[in-house]
Amino acid sequence: MKIVILGFGAVGQGIARVISMKKDYLKNRYELNPQIVAVCDRSGAAICETGLDEELLLQTKNDTGKIALYPDYGFPDRDSLQVLDEIEYDCLVEVTPTDIDDGEPARTHIMKAMEDGKDVVTSNKGPLALSFQDLADCAIKNNVEFKFEASVGGAMPILNLAHETLAGCSIKSVYGILNGTTNYILSRMANEGSSYEQTLKEAQEMGIAETDPYQDVEGIDAACKIVILANSVLNLPVTLKDVKVEGISKITSESISLAKKEGLLIKLIGEASSDDLEVSPRLVRQGSPFAVEGTLNVATLKTDLADDITVVGKGAGSVETASAILSDIVSIWKMRS
Amino acid sequence: MRFNLVLDVPDVPGQLLEVLEPMGRLGANIVAVIHQRDVKTERGTVPVHITIEGDKEILDKVMDALESKDINILEVDGVIRKEQITTVLVGDIVEEDLQDTVSKLNKLNTVKVADLDLKMSDEPRNSATMMVIEADFGQRKEVLKNIKKLGAQKGFLVINEV
Repeated sequence: MKIVILGFGAVGQGIARVISMKKDYLKNRYELNPQIVAVCDRSGAAICETGLDEELLLQTKNDTGKIALYPDYGFPDRDSLQVLDEIEYDCLVEVTPTDIDDGEPARTHIMKAMEDGKDVVTSNKGPLALSFQDLADCAIKNNVEFKFEASVGGAMPILNLAHETLAGCSIKSVYGILNGTTNYILSRMANEGSSYEQTLKEAQEMGIAETDPYQDVEGIDAACKIVILANSVLNLPVTLKDVKVEGISKITSESISLAKKEGLLIKLIGEASSDDLEVSPRLVRQGSPFAVEGTLNVATLKTDLADDITVVGKGAGSVETASAILSDIVSIWKMRS
Repeated sequence: MRFNLVLDVPDVPGQLLEVLEPMGRLGANIVAVIHQRDVKTERGTVPVHITIEGDKEILDKVMDALESKDINILEVDGVIRKEQITTVLVGDIVEEDLQDTVSKLNKLNTVKVADLDLKMSDEPRNSATMMVIEADFGQRKEVLKNIKKLGAQKGFLVINEV
């Protein structure tokens, strides 16, 4: 299976790492031999039709920051769309940074690959949150697979769980803690009694919150995931503008301590059902499955036959997120062979 | 026929008698009364379990009499009649008139603010209040929606239960 990776940040590198780690496992178990034939980042591309060396890709990126400096096979002036045109490949892995204003360049990459008849795996929330239906239609029209497990909850399996494992159940609603940064901040505030501003600063120093934390703390990131869940799991043709969003920046230590007195915690919860699309701070019981700490994610599917199903997992991290992408790659491979 | 009731009675002298009085007066047979004063609800009231026997007509009259005395009926034959909803409001609670907030909530159909806790902050808009609200079973969604609406009018951040 020939793979093109667009974007070589934390997630892109994670994929190179898991492919390198799991080579024998994938060969023995699925007779799958994944070859990374091209990788693009802002600097250009590394291209080799017979497969690039994963460890050398990681080392090049680590040492120089530029994938175009890959020995012998680096091409500084090649952009992503050129690469998709020139290279023979089976599956595009789109992991460029998320843009929630227009979903680019990921949207164009994904559309192009699907129109060229290639399967696509992505972790990119932008194009999914803005134009899910267009992408899903495009995949059907071109008879290709389009998978995006990693876009919601990182390593936590939720989309494939709903579609495959719970195949016989109708899912009525989904709700969960879908953003690790805000969960970390709220957990710390509850444990330390510290203020929001102080805790955010600390999270930024630790690299858990971004320098510009807007999308996380104002609930935009969680809202993108709610849109993806609503479309993919509940078949609701909605986009980001349909979600009512309230973030955590107005949460005070006073409100957290009041809630704690009654055995309650404040968490940022996203909820999707046919009559409600919402991200807002909510009260959950201490000791309930939603009382998770740190950067963990959790989600509950309300189903007709199986009642409630709840999953917990790591919502971010390079190798963790790559694990979800690899599971999509494997399932495409199984379907194709 | 028989009714198993769970009533919510304030922990003050004479209350149990107050509850039993209409039963005797209207001719219902009291089969059992379980009254443990050391088991209390969050609000310090005592849940009293009573089983009564009689014609349907008499039992209906007893229920009406209890309701007209404002006695809180929590359960009838295991069916929960009231549920509690907890909510936290963040904002300048005093400036926005706490009493008015409570009375507006109380005016909603079947809704009663049963408990209220406050935490004031040096910065007034960081203050918070937590309310335990009682409403008829099945009203939760409607009540939560109304709390959100009221919060938006007064500029509060509303944190409802999941």
